[in-house]
Amino acid sequence: MIAWATAAPALGAAFAASTVEVVEAFTIMLAVATLRGWRPAISGALAALAVLAAVVVALGPLLDLVPLHALALAIGVLLLLFGIGWLRKAVLRGAGLMALHDEAAIFEREKARIGAGVTSARGADWLAGLAAFKAVLLEGLEVVFIVLAVGAGRGLLAPAALGALAAFVVVMAFGLVIRRPLAKVPENTLKFAVGVMLSSFGVFWTAEGLGIAWPGGDIALIALAAVFLVAALALVRLVRPRLAMANP
Amino acid sequence: MSVVGEVLAELWSMFAGDRRLTLLLLAVVAAAAVAARVLSAPAAVPAAILVVGALAVLCDSVLQAARKARR
Repeated sequence: MIAWATAAPALGAAFAASTVEVVEAFTIMLAVATLRGWRPAISGALAALAVLAAVVVALGPLLDLVPLHALALAIGVLLLLFGIGWLRKAVLRGAGLMALHDEAAIFEREKARIGAGVTSARGADWLAGLAAFKAVLLEGLEVVFIVLAVGAGRGLLAPAALGALAAFVVVMAFGLVIRRPLAKVPENTLKFAVGVMLSSFGVFWTAEGLGIAWPGGDIALIALAAVFLVAALALVRLVRPRLAMANP
Repeated sequence: MSVVGEVLAELWSMFAGDRRLTLLLLAVVAAAAVAARVLSAPAAVPAAILVVGALAVLCDSVLQAARKARR
């Protein structure tokens, strides 16, 4: 039985990160459905989910073959690269230096892009299905990586996968009810939180991979998250007034 | 671009979209590895290198982007 305190960070990180990715995929699926109906949107999404499932089935057993320290180090470094990259963007967006993710604008852009490529009704369905396929595949790959990264190594794949599945169900259910781009999801706040958590996991796993034992074990993750959160919030404050002074 | 090409580009951008950030983080990990494995430093040293190094790389990357935005 996995302790709740151990499973909660993996479940929470997977849920928050997957929410962001599923919202982005849903926006493109909705653009496809608005133009060509739900059939190509759902067909494309199901095909992408089948490819993702094949990737997981193929990669999952390979993870068991890798020594635990090597796996922790590899995952830790990848998480560090991914997490700090997310946190950097979230800080820049929080400080107003980078445009916020606008689901409504993406929805209109995707509609225009799919509409522009249409030459026949059959071609339009194919193009629309392909757009949904690519969106779900690309965003889903990030979800698969996050689930594997926060779940592998400590036997936390089940809670991480549960977090991702819960995000999928919640976003899809909500999106299918309102049938509009989910523009009100606080995406940057979620990305900020996910960046903090993934960076913390990255430092934690990298150190474990190098054979370093953290004081307090898994509880050190909470301390690391607090350090990254405070530093990131301080950075937002630091760069925001600088911009205001430069552009009064 | 083909779907496979887009997938590969997405994977590349996930981990190495910002070359400077990637190289600096790998340098931090290498420094922590040297401290832990080669110098056999106490556990607190490589751990501190990782935490402080990752924060320093984040600061560097954000401040650099802020400088670019001001230009």
